[in-house]
Amino acid sequence: MDTSVQPDTESSLIEDLKKGNATAYKHAVREYSPGMLAVARFYQDQSGAEEIVQDCWVTVIGAIHKFEGRSGLKTWLHRIVANRCKNKLRATNREVSTDFSETLDPELASRFKSNGRWSLPPKLIFHESADTLMENEALSDCLDKHLSTLPETQRSALMLYEAHQHKSEDVCNILDVSASNLRVLLHRARQKIFLMVETFQETGEC
Amino acid sequence: MLMCKGLAEIASDYIDDELNSRQNLSVKMHLMMCKHCRTFIGNLRASTDLLKAHSSGRDNEEMIRRIDERVAEALKTWTPEGNNTE
Ligand SMILES: [Zn+2]
Repeated sequence: MDTSVQPDTESSLIEDLKKGNATAYKHAVREYSPGMLAVARFYQDQSGAEEIVQDCWVTVIGAIHKFEGRSGLKTWLHRIVANRCKNKLRATNREVSTDFSETLDPELASRFKSNGRWSLPPKLIFHESADTLMENEALSDCLDKHLSTLPETQRSALMLYEAHQHKSEDVCNILDVSASNLRVLLHRARQKIFLMVETFQETGEC
Repeated sequence: MLMCKGLAEIASDYIDDELNSRQNLSVKMHLMMCKHCRTFIGNLRASTDLLKAHSSGRDNEEMIRRIDERVAEALKTWTPEGNNTE
């Protein structure tokens, strides 16, 4: 599923952007910046991410005439952001490393007996709807805290796929991971969130 | 036969409907017999929904305004570069 922008609306928006139309840019900035910030946010803190998104828009103004529409506009914009972030990482010698060999989170893996059955099964059922749960500010903060401790690649994969509803193929392109590794990243990240919510529901502690 | 641990390993693929039909069937069979795994799948799915709800609607008006300003500034020196490359 893509954004609310329909294909023909998107192509006319792109034509207007190519003409340097200020109103079109205002619209595009509102529509696409939150997603771009989400991409940048996984490599950078808040202010660094905002700076990158601003720089990217300036790049877009100069590069939109080269956009051929092979990918959607959103995907193209997110790739620009991801590439800029990756270059910046390289410049500061920070490495993004990931282990793709284990599909189970170690903490979850320890909850099974050697015969493969649960020794410590899930304790309670998450009854409340996601929207109701999110009204709980402490839980929301806790989620933020745990998201920030996820390895960068897991967090990026999770947010692009779940929150910004990119197709798997696009996430693989943006993050430079294979389809099977993306599946591992998503599963590992979801398990962490599951474990976090379980602890929070049970103890009220983050 | 698929055990609980094996099911936990492929739980996200099940949720996202990425399993082949044989795997999918064995998960469904296991879930019919195993209450713990039904809870696990339900909770993992709820965690996933939680993330979706968590990140939507957190747009930052101030940030958008700052980007607007920067873009407006950059557009002042706009030239139709597409035509230069002909
Ligand atoms: Zn089971």
